[in-house]
Amino acid sequence: MRALRVPLAQPVPGDLAPELAKRLFFVSSAITEFDLVAEGGDISAVDLVISGDAEESAIAVKIGKVVAAEVLTQRPLPPKQVWRCPVEATFVDPFPELLAGDAAFVAGEGQVGFGEPLLSLVDYLDARLLAIALELPGSREFRYPTLLPTSVLDRFGYFGSFPQFAMFVTRLHNDIDVYNGFVDRYRDGGRLPDDLFAQCEDKTYCLPPTMCYHTYHQYTGRRLPSEMVVTSRGKSFRYESRYHTSMERLWDFTIREIVFLGGEDFATGCRNAVMARAYALLEELELAGHCEVANDHFFGNADTAGKILSQRMMELKFELRVPVAADRDIAVGSFNLHGQFFGESFDITGPAGGPTASGCVGFGLERLAYAFLCQHGADPAGWPTAVTDRIGDPGAARSHH
Amino acid sequence: MGADSKARIREFVLDNITETELADDDDIFERGLVRSMFVMQLVVFVEQEFGVQVTGDDLRFDHFRSVDRVDELVTRKLAAV
Repeated sequence: MRALRVPLAQPVPGDLAPELAKRLFFVSSAITEFDLVAEGGDISAVDLVISGDAEESAIAVKIGKVVAAEVLTQRPLPPKQVWRCPVEATFVDPFPELLAGDAAFVAGEGQVGFGEPLLSLVDYLDARLLAIALELPGSREFRYPTLLPTSVLDRFGYFGSFPQFAMFVTRLHNDIDVYNGFVDRYRDGGRLPDDLFAQCEDKTYCLPPTMCYHTYHQYTGRRLPSEMVVTSRGKSFRYESRYHTSMERLWDFTIREIVFLGGEDFATGCRNAVMARAYALLEELELAGHCEVANDHFFGNADTAGKILSQRMMELKFELRVPVAADRDIAVGSFNLHGQFFGESFDITGPAGGPTASGCVGFGLERLAYAFLCQHGADPAGWPTAVTDRIGDPGAARSHH
Repeated sequence: MGADSKARIREFVLDNITETELADDDDIFERGLVRSMFVMQLVVFVEQEFGVQVTGDDLRFDHFRSVDRVDELVTRKLAAV
């Protein structure tokens, strides 16, 4: 481990600091920690901790490229909050207690297994969100397989916009010589061969970064008889490069998704309805939080600045953010409009024949539940009665231990 | 000056759409004439063509929806220079 200060050729304005911060861990896997060095409101340098024998000058060059191509090209817009929950929160770090009580288990980087009382809480929150979805006109629920064909993401350019999140699924290529060669080498070496992936030429499937892509896949090439809402819940995967040892940010997590397919007004109306219901739910859960204009984490793309600017100016994305500590909040949900982008990409047409407009809302169930615990504690005795009355006593499930 | 800037804005929009008919008060985004990404091109065009800075609160979508609205922004920015 070495500490290193990388001066920036051009200072990054303070309001673009978050855009720099969210890209730094993706610049190089050698970067294990970073701090932004502020000087008169601008970021003038980056302090890094780097691992291995990575060349310092090479890392500085990579940072320079990302700053020039993807950060300084952006035009910062003033932050815009559209709602704030009138709750004053106090905070605890619930994770040590969850671990000590065997209510959570760290399975790997960004991967957490959990039991009661978190299990009942997650299921309760999902049930409430599902009810919000099923109240919408033309709604139906689907359960999808986990694997998503790579061609689905390919179809709308996902890999060009979010290469950093993508998770591919592969297997040994189905050929007797490949199997025999693999088994021989595995037995001889006693471990997986370093060039394992040379034998895994199949890349037909990936892991879904979110659930709504399954829905566009489902309706590909179809003419919808009427406007519709599809909700689903499933495992989603985004590689985020660095994970806290907690449930704030997971690599492997669960999304409750609601997709709206119809005219622009239908998509906007549904999105706004879900936003209003989500605000009411947050108030009922007695959670501090707010909703603000947001943008996707486009990366490695010449169009990044334009995509982010149009998304923010047209207010196509809002995030519901809930604090997990006095100085930190996390997004627990996002509310998105896409215009006809997915309708055109997947050839989904409306009753009148033209490409359908769409919108979607996704809630990160583990994150929402974890933010709840950060504000109300891991012990159900401290939870709002509006919750405990409706899910019964989640602790009861532990009595058979 | 107003008529001149409006004509330059109209020409830029027409150069970037396939339609040849465009009213100055047409909402070019709502009519589906351009993709959302076009807003960035419009911002850059206004800055380069008229030598003004479009930042902060000027970066409102409403200022870029039609030739008329862009012209109002340009006229206001030029008056403030």
